[in-house]
Amino acid sequence: MKSLNKFWLAGLFALFALFLAACSSDAGSEEGEGSEGESAEESEGVTLTIGSWRTEDTERYQALIDAFNEKYPDINVEFKPSKNTEYNTILNTALKAGEGPDIIHLRPYAPGIQLADQGYLAPLDDINGLDVFPESSLAAAKGSDGKQYGVPLNISTTQMFYNKAIFEELGLEEPKTWDEFIALNETLKSEGYTPISLGTKEGWLLSLAHGIFGPAHYGANDFVEKIAAGETDFTSEEFLSSIKAMDELKKYFPENYEGLGMEDIRTLFFTETAAMFPMGSWEIEVLREMNPDLELGFFPMPSAVGKDATVTTWVDGSYGVNAKSEHVEEAKKFVEFMTTKEFGNLFTEKFKMISAIPGTESDDELVNNLGKAVESNPTPYMMLVHFSGGNPTTKVTLETELQGMYLGEQTPEGVTEALQENAATWFEPFQ
Amino acid sequence: MELEINKKLNRKKQKRNWKRWAIHLFPVPAIIVYGLFIVYPLLAALSYSFFDWNGMIRGDFVGFKNFVNLFTLEPFSGFFWNSFGHNIIYFVVQLVFQNAIAFFLAYLIYKKLKFGEFFKIALFLPRLLSVIVVGFLWKLILNPNFGALNVLLGKFGLENLQKAWLGDPDTALITIILVNCWFGIGFMLLIFLAGFQAIPKELLEAATLDGAKEFKMMKTIMLPLMIPSIMITTVLTFIQSFEAFELVYAMQGSQGEPYHSTDTLAVYFYRLAFGGSTGDSTAIGLGSALAVVLFIFISTFTALLLKFMQKKEVEM
Repeated sequence: MKSLNKFWLAGLFALFALFLAACSSDAGSEEGEGSEGESAEESEGVTLTIGSWRTEDTERYQALIDAFNEKYPDINVEFKPSKNTEYNTILNTALKAGEGPDIIHLRPYAPGIQLADQGYLAPLDDINGLDVFPESSLAAAKGSDGKQYGVPLNISTTQMFYNKAIFEELGLEEPKTWDEFIALNETLKSEGYTPISLGTKEGWLLSLAHGIFGPAHYGANDFVEKIAAGETDFTSEEFLSSIKAMDELKKYFPENYEGLGMEDIRTLFFTETAAMFPMGSWEIEVLREMNPDLELGFFPMPSAVGKDATVTTWVDGSYGVNAKSEHVEEAKKFVEFMTTKEFGNLFTEKFKMISAIPGTESDDELVNNLGKAVESNPTPYMMLVHFSGGNPTTKVTLETELQGMYLGEQTPEGVTEALQENAATWFEPFQ
Repeated sequence: MELEINKKLNRKKQKRNWKRWAIHLFPVPAIIVYGLFIVYPLLAALSYSFFDWNGMIRGDFVGFKNFVNLFTLEPFSGFFWNSFGHNIIYFVVQLVFQNAIAFFLAYLIYKKLKFGEFFKIALFLPRLLSVIVVGFLWKLILNPNFGALNVLLGKFGLENLQKAWLGDPDTALITIILVNCWFGIGFMLLIFLAGFQAIPKELLEAATLDGAKEFKMMKTIMLPLMIPSIMITTVLTFIQSFEAFELVYAMQGSQGEPYHSTDTLAVYFYRLAFGGSTGDSTAIGLGSALAVVLFIFISTFTALLLKFMQKKEVEM
């Protein structure tokens, strides 16, 4: 009996030793930091990995990698994306274990900057070409220490897409004022079309839609500057009017909108049941694939308070370098390449998106027009750019509360109060 | 000569000793796997819950602060109690719509209902699908504008029953739980059926000879003998109800939408610890505290439930 006990004790001990070994792997990989000084000659046959949430872009990235290899044939680059909704979890877990890809696709603003502030990213101030970007683009990946941690990849925009064929059939034109916009909705509704294809089942659609409709009511950039400085807050008259407008628009949403998600509203739009689709620029390619005959147009959202019409915009994802990568120097070569005009042009051509590098033109008319609209009347996606901090974030709070409003369980005033309460817990200008 | 025999005996003894030792080696792989994937994460979560976390960086030791915050600090405490209530509804509805129906069906099949074998298989079939597949399948069926359910309701002239089943906070949770029942009923049925079939025939025959009627037989003979099966299914349902995650996640995402009406503790835990699906920030300390609370709650109540049921078995 005694020997039996001893045996189990030994077994447990072995198990414990195994844990220790597993835990200490963190420490092991930290040593990799020392390799930053590796010279270019030594890097022959180095393989870099790129982590991203854009699984659908794998082939397009290969074109970018090929162009990079023309300059640096010795550096192999592998694009290794993971599923969009799982990306953050996968990346965080890997980084925590001292691993992760060499080049990291950063979520814009707070979540990406958080990685930088926690020391997982290498500062990029010493690479060439960062000066081509406007300060507002660099802000998407600037650490709290003022250093740059990411090279911006693309500008995303949200605006109102519309079905040109339906507009033509009913003799409608792009609205220039908010009242024209409402009148247009009425016409569409009376003609049997769903005016605005929006569902409230998935919260993120609501903050996205507020990003489009909101600026028309709170008065776009002036308000954003004021609230970012803490001079006004979410309970202000301007902001409340933007929430009320969201509430009033619901009569133009599809039937059963409270049960519809992204797939459903996209389907309603590309099957030409719905005439307008408040959505992001990344859907252009998807919509064309789903319905090649769709005559797709867009218009900037006209203002209800006498200001310019706006296209909502932000930097969507920058690329950073893993501080614990064994090939920091080579990885920097790649992100440096991402600042060149050559890269910008190739990106626009392959991805049909707006490159973050100013002045790149696209051969696609819609994308080109969108790029011009962004340069002439941009407004930031305020919730993402300034209010994606906190837990839950203020952006998520807006999503939840708007959902509550559409379900009749929350008032517009209640939405603004909940937002203010949340933001006050973390947003410094409110404290 | 004697020496020779001694040697032989010794060798035999040695061999036996070795065999005795070798037997103890067999559970080692299981223990390693169990330790690595169950015990270690459990202990790690326990240790995480006592620290302050800044994103993924571990901060200072804060004692029970995370636990206190979980129960007292808004909005975390609100989410907690809201989810907890949903877990209880999950448990109760499953007891009624899954286990009670499974019990009744098992009895019918046991009583040699026509096509019993067919029903047994048909009811068990959903179980062969992955929960995620079940979730997506039902999401399609329940889609308010394109889904089969509303189309069927329309065909039968029941337009006023058409609803956004998963988008309305009044129906979303109950809909998900009923899908879960559809998924789980076959498994429970098999357990009950095995229980019925294990009842000694002599007892029933004797009772019949004594003139016992169907209901009386059920109450005095079958039910007491079914207690072990009822115990197993109830405990399983309890654990499963308080761990409910996959189906909610597959059908409503990590926010427990709409308006947190389908939040469960496990979904809330996922959101806290790993961040929401749209890049929400993480709260590893709070998440770990929640995991520990959940573990303690489930294990305590499972133990109590088992104890209570055992007593019942003896009494009857």
